Amino acid sequence: MTVATSRQGLKIWIRELGRNGWILGIWLLLIMLVVWYGSLIPSFGNFQITSISKNSLPLVYLAIGQAIIVIAGGIDLSLGSLLILANALAARHMDEQGLGMVLGIGLALILGLGFLNALVGWIIHVSGVPDIVVTLATSYIWSGLALWILPSPGGGTAPEFRWLFTGSPSGIGGTYVMPLSMMLIPAAMVFFMSRRSHLGLSMYAIGSDRATSRLAGVNIRKAKIASYAIGGGMAALAGLATIAITGTGDPRFSVGAMATLNSIAAVVLGGVALAGGSGSVPGVVPAGVILIMLNPILSAMGINPNNVQIIQGVMIAGVMMIGTHGTEAGQNLMKRLRFKVTHHYG
Amino acid sequence: MDKPASTAAGSVRSRLHTLITEQPVLILGGVLLLLILATGVIEPHYLSLNGVRSTLLQAAPLGILAGAQTILMLAGGIDLSVTMIATGSAYVTANQSPQGAVIAIVLGLLVGLIVGAINGTGVAVFRVNPLIMTLAMSGILLGLFTAWAQTILQGSTQVHAFVKILGAGSFLNNQVPFSVVVWTLVAIGISWILKRTGWGRLLFAVGDNEIAIRLAGVKVWQVRITAYMVAGVLGSIAGILLAGRTGAVDLQLANAFLLPSVAAAVIGGTSIFGGVGGYTGTIIGTLILSVLNSLLTFLNVGQDIQQVVYGSIILILAWSYAGLTGKSA
Repeated sequence: MTVATSRQGLKIWIRELGRNGWILGIWLLLIMLVVWYGSLIPSFGNFQITSISKNSLPLVYLAIGQAIIVIAGGIDLSLGSLLILANALAARHMDEQGLGMVLGIGLALILGLGFLNALVGWIIHVSGVPDIVVTLATSYIWSGLALWILPSPGGGTAPEFRWLFTGSPSGIGGTYVMPLSMMLIPAAMVFFMSRRSHLGLSMYAIGSDRATSRLAGVNIRKAKIASYAIGGGMAALAGLATIAITGTGDPRFSVGAMATLNSIAAVVLGGVALAGGSGSVPGVVPAGVILIMLNPILSAMGINPNNVQIIQGVMIAGVMMIGTHGTEAGQNLMKRLRFKVTHHYG
Repeated sequence: MDKPASTAAGSVRSRLHTLITEQPVLILGGVLLLLILATGVIEPHYLSLNGVRSTLLQAAPLGILAGAQTILMLAGGIDLSVTMIATGSAYVTANQSPQGAVIAIVLGLLVGLIVGAINGTGVAVFRVNPLIMTLAMSGILLGLFTAWAQTILQGSTQVHAFVKILGAGSFLNNQVPFSVVVWTLVAIGISWILKRTGWGRLLFAVGDNEIAIRLAGVKVWQVRITAYMVAGVLGSIAGILLAGRTGAVDLQLANAFLLPSVAAAVIGGTSIFGGVGGYTGTIIGTLILSVLNSLLTFLNVGQDIQQVVYGSIILILAWSYAGLTGKSA
């Protein structure tokens, strides 16, 4: 009896390790980078943790949104544009307002952009036009709107709102409790939604096999639209985090385009296959932080910040090259291990 | 059995439907014509040789970049680094201009060939998703050229006179821009390759059903790598034309063309999933986007409205295309 359960337990452990190997690896990479960064600079502490977690917020939010959309079999090239749209709207309307009003605007933006992107998801579902084409088009529309709302960088927000995301009313220094919890709470919410709710599981289902899911009775339209709605909401949150960090709005198209590309990079680095149906939020969060962390690490190493781009690119391409073959090899290894456990002790 | 009358009406409709399904280029041509006429209504001077000339001059680099995307999309790929390749080639060409135009241009084209080969190796041999591979490459190139612009690639304003003529000059009474001649040659080349060569047919086949074509004995990785190399060279050509047109190279030289280059191919009916499409549609897609740009410029609306209209048109075109042909664009 005890032998049987321990063997069962071992099998489950090996299976889980095989499934989550990538996520484990990406967390290890993050820890290694943090330790390495800590050894590079004279004193590593509150300030560094605050600044890294704070600066990663927009990318982490965007990557979580992108991850959910990609898991459900789509891809959203407009998330960066939604970010600057939220950023512009917030900068325009939050300026010189009290905290209550500012929080109301923030909530309205999350819901509003979630609804807007749900509409995009609906268009994709109804039209049969590929996700990448529709969101390419909407990326222009949203960034155009952002530019219309805020023609040049400016605007502002309430100091309390900045504290909410950065842990300091001026956006400088402060405590890491706020940015870390602002990162982990939404991430945990989306994670539990995606893994524990019917809707979340149906997203995995349609991303993995649309036709089979439909035959199995999954409401594919609802799942698709919901995934885009979450993406829109997370993009709005990213825009709010951006204004909290910088204190102003910036409607430039290039900012949005860069953010979109980074979100896709983070998603892939985080172990979400672009084909859909696999990966999860806990892998994407450290991936986003890693991409942001390269900046301070390289400058601490005395490397020209211009080279961050190069190293980021080489790292993403390299991880993907090793990863594609590595995961296959890893899964085979796990399969063999499981086989051994089953048959040796059986 | 149907009544004769309804059969006749039905056959007309079904024939029309077949025509539209098989020749989507016709609809695109109609859209283009409508846009040209609308632009003519707003700005009568536009409907002149000069108007045609300026539109084509605008369209040439975009058309060549969109050609690169078309070739890759047919084979189920995409290149998000093509505009950085263009920028890099422009830098190299400008930097090497003192060596003479030929050497400068050849070295410029070499940039596309090398970067394309790396992209292709990543995608075909290491099986990296094309979106990610070229995205990463774009970042790498941006970093490299940012660093090199001040060091080994300086001299961004010393573009050779010949390259300047190629990019901005015209002949035949100043009516036919040289860059349009280049584009025409490129267009003939791409169309010929896609329709008449075995490699061109392989591109469609790889995009349509990679497994079948591999089982048929085709070395798919070779097709993919060469496709990326061709696309890289096309990016270089566009970059050299842009360098000639502006006379001064900077990091933002070709950036604005990235999304339009994908959009032009998509509007032209090339499937982003591969296997379906062609360059004729892409040419019309490019012209539609260029005329649209002129139209928005003449309307004198700001950048903001331009982007909204631009995005809406892409969306409407892609949607109606998918609806009309019954297949995804």
